[in-house]
Amino acid sequence: MDTKHIRNFSIIAHIDHGKSTLADRMLELTGAVELRDMQAQLLDDMPLERERGITIKAHAVTIYHVKDGERYQLNLIDTPGHVDFNYEVQKSLQACEGAVLLVDASQGVEAQTVANAYLAIEEELEIIPVLNKVDLAHARPDEIAEEIENSLAIEATDAIHISAKTGKNVNLVLDTIVDRVPAPTGDPSAPLQALIFDAVYDEYRGVIVYLRIFNGTLTKRDLTRMVKSGKQYEAVEIGRFSPKMTPTDTLKAGEVGYVVSNIKKLGDVKVGDTLTLAKFRDVEPVPGYEEPQHMVFADFYPTNPGDFEHLRDALETLALSDSSLSFFPESSDALGFGFRCGFLGLLHMEIIQQRLEREHDIDMIQTAPSVTYRISLADGTEQEIHSPGQLPSPDHFEELREPIVRASMMMPVEYIGAVMQISNDHRGIFVRQEHLSTTRVNLVFDIPLAEIIYDFYDKLKSSTRGYGTLNYDIIDFKADDLVKLKILVNGKEVDALSSIVHRSQAEYRGRQTLKKLRKEIPRHLFEVRLQAGVGSKIIARESIAALRKDVTAKCYGGDITRKRKLLEKQKAGKRRMRQVGNVDIPQKAFLSVLGGE
Amino acid sequence: MHLPFCAAKCHYCDFYSIAAEGQDVDGTVDAVLLEAARRAPRAPRTVFFGGGTPSLLSIEQLTRLLDGLESITGFRESSVETTLESNPESMDREKAEALRALGVGRLSIGFQSLEPATLELFGRVHGVEDSFRAFEAARAGGFEEINVDLIYAAPGHSPERWAVDLPHVLALGPRHVSAYALAFEEETLFSKWLAEGRLEAQPEERELELFEQTHAILAAHGFDSYEVSNFAPKGHECRHNLNYWANGAYCGIGPSAVSHIAGRRAGNHKALAPWRKAVQAGKSAEAWDERLDPRGRLGESWWLGLRLRAGVDPAALRELAGWTAPEDPALAVARPLLEEGLLEEVDGRIRLSAAGLPLADAISLAFLA
Repeated sequence: MDTKHIRNFSIIAHIDHGKSTLADRMLELTGAVELRDMQAQLLDDMPLERERGITIKAHAVTIYHVKDGERYQLNLIDTPGHVDFNYEVQKSLQACEGAVLLVDASQGVEAQTVANAYLAIEEELEIIPVLNKVDLAHARPDEIAEEIENSLAIEATDAIHISAKTGKNVNLVLDTIVDRVPAPTGDPSAPLQALIFDAVYDEYRGVIVYLRIFNGTLTKRDLTRMVKSGKQYEAVEIGRFSPKMTPTDTLKAGEVGYVVSNIKKLGDVKVGDTLTLAKFRDVEPVPGYEEPQHMVFADFYPTNPGDFEHLRDALETLALSDSSLSFFPESSDALGFGFRCGFLGLLHMEIIQQRLEREHDIDMIQTAPSVTYRISLADGTEQEIHSPGQLPSPDHFEELREPIVRASMMMPVEYIGAVMQISNDHRGIFVRQEHLSTTRVNLVFDIPLAEIIYDFYDKLKSSTRGYGTLNYDIIDFKADDLVKLKILVNGKEVDALSSIVHRSQAEYRGRQTLKKLRKEIPRHLFEVRLQAGVGSKIIARESIAALRKDVTAKCYGGDITRKRKLLEKQKAGKRRMRQVGNVDIPQKAFLSVLGGE
Repeated sequence: MHLPFCAAKCHYCDFYSIAAEGQDVDGTVDAVLLEAARRAPRAPRTVFFGGGTPSLLSIEQLTRLLDGLESITGFRESSVETTLESNPESMDREKAEALRALGVGRLSIGFQSLEPATLELFGRVHGVEDSFRAFEAARAGGFEEINVDLIYAAPGHSPERWAVDLPHVLALGPRHVSAYALAFEEETLFSKWLAEGRLEAQPEERELELFEQTHAILAAHGFDSYEVSNFAPKGHECRHNLNYWANGAYCGIGPSAVSHIAGRRAGNHKALAPWRKAVQAGKSAEAWDERLDPRGRLGESWWLGLRLRAGVDPAALRELAGWTAPEDPALAVARPLLEEGLLEEVDGRIRLSAAGLPLADAISLAFLA
């Protein structure tokens, strides 16, 4: 197909605004999927995604749409909708010429929609505003169109009114994509230049690389080279997603597809890298490749120390399809050998943790997430601190600085007071307030990232009844009166439970942490003493009383096997805990340093 | 020998039992004898008829069962202890006399509680008076070795009440008492009610208080606590049950019955119908089996043996388990517990200390592989 008949586009939407449903309707309408094969949210193929209703990984699908008697190839590149996945969103958008900006006609513009739409504007994409769920009684499309104009400066009076659920006007969206999204430019006979915008690992076929060809042609059996990594591989199979992987012989400039090269070394492929042919030595890389910036760190320790290598393999596999995950070996006095992992944000962390457990069947202990701190040493050098346990005592550094984010929070006007309050409580500094419409407002605060992680997001959600949305960017590192809050269990400091807090909050947070630990740590045959301290001073205490009675009433011949198995199960549960000294600490207890429930 | 019929299912009970009404009890007796003829050991040392409520069988059925078993095993000659479990609603003097004549020397009666409200909560079909009447009938019928089953720490139970009720039972002159703290066993109505909040378990402090009170009252009446929930004057311990706690061998007959023979433990089909079908077809009625490795057997033997006041003999358990390596893993587990005073060593045997007794599960858990 010539490039004139190709359109590459994404859908930008907030969680729950109906992106996956719209994609499903498009597949159905264009006959890419038979109705009987439809499974709601076809594009989300990781079980976790369907469960959470959010899109974690970018995916691609090729559909064919006929307009005015001409057949067009439409490549839909799906993007993750959450603030944590900005880099992936950016790479997906880079592979497109246009984007559908999908907004729920009753919910309105949300902070993440704005953030992703700005990324699309930066990439100079043609943006098509679409209002979804217009059939609902409380839809207010005109007001929402005004919000789009006010928050993004995009003309939205002609926004298409659709219902992805019923299919209303979805065909018009497809027509509009053909009309307004520019056909890709690019020369099929130039040297190959293709953007790797995603990759997944298949046990049998190795790495499957998702490509957008900007220039040149990729033919089956070509010897390829990745520009950044320098690795060379043969293109064993190439093809399109329609939506299942469908082999083809060539992919030309403007097209989207995949290449399979029997790549078993996971680290060889990096999202954002450029693929070319081995014979072309001076091909320009697609701009914008960067190592993702990790702002949240947490440690993963295998519950069974023998699983260390298994955990490493699993992390390598995940890191392949998720270039934004980083990890390096780490050891803790309390937890032994594990990995410190860097994440884009909290949701990202949670997803990785669940994927490790579900897809790789690993039981592990995860420490509470922490942000990256910077300390200046007496000799003028700087050092990054990724975990509170690493922080040296105060006489070993001059200054301790923490990341500050500019947080943009959108909400209905009636919640302004509540959000101002929680922002102030979390050491926020007011920046500005903007009215998006008569009913909605954007509040901007500078807030320490550590506060966002502690419980700010939970608080924002609960104080706005779920209507408040948040997006943030790191803008600075600032010094403050920060101290290390230590936790001692039976007199022994547990490094994995310490945190860095503002001095004024130390006592309150120490108490909160101990209260939670008290709930999480099971009773033992002896009393368990819990203490929180700053420096050498103990600021809070709790204790867990010793177990007093635990005896099975009866156990006769017919009971032995069953009762023993019950106890063995209990014992296996204990093995999933970590022993610190002689105290068993369950996984959940390590998250006690966070706020929220 | 497991006879699964009960007048009604008690709400706390997790043994396999079914309401006798409308069931083919005669056919079940036939099937039990059929299985016994194939599997029961000749000349058993002890015999125990449990369930279920074996006393629910008619004298004719009991006669057929016991005569049948006699002709298969010759237990009347060999058995030093033949026990039958009963409930007050199905025990009278006539039945007691018949049982004595049929070779049963020891009777267990399920009193469970002396509080009418508790009996009702338990779903028992007898009243308090019925229990006393059954005891007297058994005595009059010729039984001296009588055990009484009691459950304490039920919702609403108080030490004040127990201080009166337990001695009241002991005044009858039983030779053995099984006194259990109420346990919310899995898959019982009680555990469901607990989860739904319809029942509340006694607080741990109260349970402990009742546990200690039970031990104190029974000790004062000359009953040794020879196992965590079993009490008897010296010489009247239940030998059949002692064999379970010593992890010895036994043969189980009937639905859901478990056997432990030559290191292999196996359980029959739980439900009556599949068990009976298998037996009548001449097939094995086993639904599962297991054979532990030496380490598993060693741990299991300690776990069971620590229930006994006499505790365990480490060398004997090593031999039983077939553990031959120089280092005894169970002793390695025992050492810190001895130091903490939860276990104690007496005459080369290791047992729970007074402090360890109420924590038997938490402690013996450590020994399981």
